[in-house]
Amino acid sequence: MKWPTSKLGYTVAGMTVLAAVLVPFLLMGLFTKGFTKLGLHVDEMYGGGPTVRTIRADGYTVTIHREVYPHLLQTEKPFVQLDWKPVSALPQHISDAVDVDGDGQQDVRVSFDVPKDPKAPLRVDVEALNPRYQAMRNVGKGKFSELIVRVDDAILVRVPLTGQ
Amino acid sequence: MADAACTAFAGKTPPRTWSRALLLTLPIVLWSLFMSMQGLMQHDRSLQIANALTAAFLIVLFFMMMKTSSTYRWRRWFFVALGVLFPIGFIHNVMVLRGSMGIPLEEMIAGRTPFCFLPIPLLILPAALTKTLVFPGSLLPGGGMSGAGMAAMAGLWLAITLVVGKGWCSYACFFGGIEEGMAALPKKAQWKKLDPRLRLVPWAVLLAMVLLSLALFEPAYCMWLCPFKAVSEYVAARNTVGMVQNGIFVVLFAALVVVLPLLTKKRTQCTFLCPFGAFQSIFNKTSVFDIKIDRTVCSPCMLCQKSCPTMSLSDESIKKGETLMSCMKCGACVDACPKGAAVWHIRGTQVAVKPERARLMFLYAAWAVAAMFGGSIITQGLATILQRVI
Repeated sequence: MKWPTSKLGYTVAGMTVLAAVLVPFLLMGLFTKGFTKLGLHVDEMYGGGPTVRTIRADGYTVTIHREVYPHLLQTEKPFVQLDWKPVSALPQHISDAVDVDGDGQQDVRVSFDVPKDPKAPLRVDVEALNPRYQAMRNVGKGKFSELIVRVDDAILVRVPLTGQ
Repeated sequence: MADAACTAFAGKTPPRTWSRALLLTLPIVLWSLFMSMQGLMQHDRSLQIANALTAAFLIVLFFMMMKTSSTYRWRRWFFVALGVLFPIGFIHNVMVLRGSMGIPLEEMIAGRTPFCFLPIPLLILPAALTKTLVFPGSLLPGGGMSGAGMAAMAGLWLAITLVVGKGWCSYACFFGGIEEGMAALPKKAQWKKLDPRLRLVPWAVLLAMVLLSLALFEPAYCMWLCPFKAVSEYVAARNTVGMVQNGIFVVLFAALVVVLPLLTKKRTQCTFLCPFGAFQSIFNKTSVFDIKIDRTVCSPCMLCQKSCPTMSLSDESIKKGETLMSCMKCGACVDACPKGAAVWHIRGTQVAVKPERARLMFLYAAWAVAAMFGGSIITQGLATILQRVI
């Protein structure tokens, strides 16, 4: 009675050795592909949500992302991300009134300096023209939901939502 | 061919002749050379040397495993080298690309946070429920320190786990080597009486971290408890919370990876904290290889229990002739048993019948993935050092 299970054990062990050889050529790629096909995406709290529309300004664009809401007990506030790019085309000082929700009315006025040194710290002021958005004064990069950072060739500003 | 090298009954396998050991090492020689081929053809001289050294190192260790029929002490050299050289290569890369070990917010937003295997169990529930990965990395290669992306790391983990199961913690984990090295330093353990209930702590940490990660939608272990942040990268301390987090990383590293292994001669971080290790234990149930205690020859002297670096042998499990599911197949108990009662085993086969065949089959599989994954990390670390020297 022991013989068939023993045979099976050795067969599976042999297949495991074969699988070890196949890891770099087949298995790893196969599992990686399978993983990408699951349709997973990185939490928008990090990435900022998909782009909704783009506003053209003088030589640069302002990209507006979809509003991001925290999950369950996530400690961040809901926010909307606005990207100014390319940095090389931005004037030394930005003071743009932006229609965030696309209703034809300006919602926030965003003001920040654009330093030439890409590693220089950024600070932003946001004036809320619509009570739905929260004003910010001299904000740097303390939290994911209210910040100004430079990522590659864009300056990203995240404006918190008030919930109104 | 391997049959002749296998013992047909329980007992210690005697050392092999040089020629037989060389013959058994031949597949690993070819595999190691094949794995290092790409690096050897590079124009970077330090990378070429590092590749050659790594291949030679892995071949010599495997040869010694074959020659002496001992597993643990040779595997330990590989594992310690992996644990020591990983931070060297990694920190060098981080400093070159980013200039700091702290991850700035910009890098997280850009999805360029390096992804290791430790948060994998924490990502499963949020991913299953909302299709969201609660980690500031990128699914596919995203430049910078993102490496090959989270999908590639997950794919690699799954492939290696399929082969070695919980053996990941002995042949692939690039963190455990530091504490294994620390545990190897003292001749005797100062603290011998460790409460066996502490073995359950990693399961509690796993449960807590999985639930916290789901509730807070962040990789809670990486944010709060990972001791290896102290030797890889950490959240850039932007505020008091960040400073507290970094303080926790340093204290846990000092306690669990340095001080306690020196006092107990155990891998204390793996035994008493690591939630990934607990999670990986589940795959011991799916692996065809395991370690058994042959009750017909066991005295019991408990040397296997004393030698186990992760407390994976309890009195009850020895009576049953088994290891606990946290066994990472390092081979310490097999090497320590004077009667050859602790044996390598293939599920479905009779215990202690041709245990050396089981050992050989496991080692070929484990060493193949070790040479592929760990070998590349050792090479990177060595190349970093050589770049400074040459």
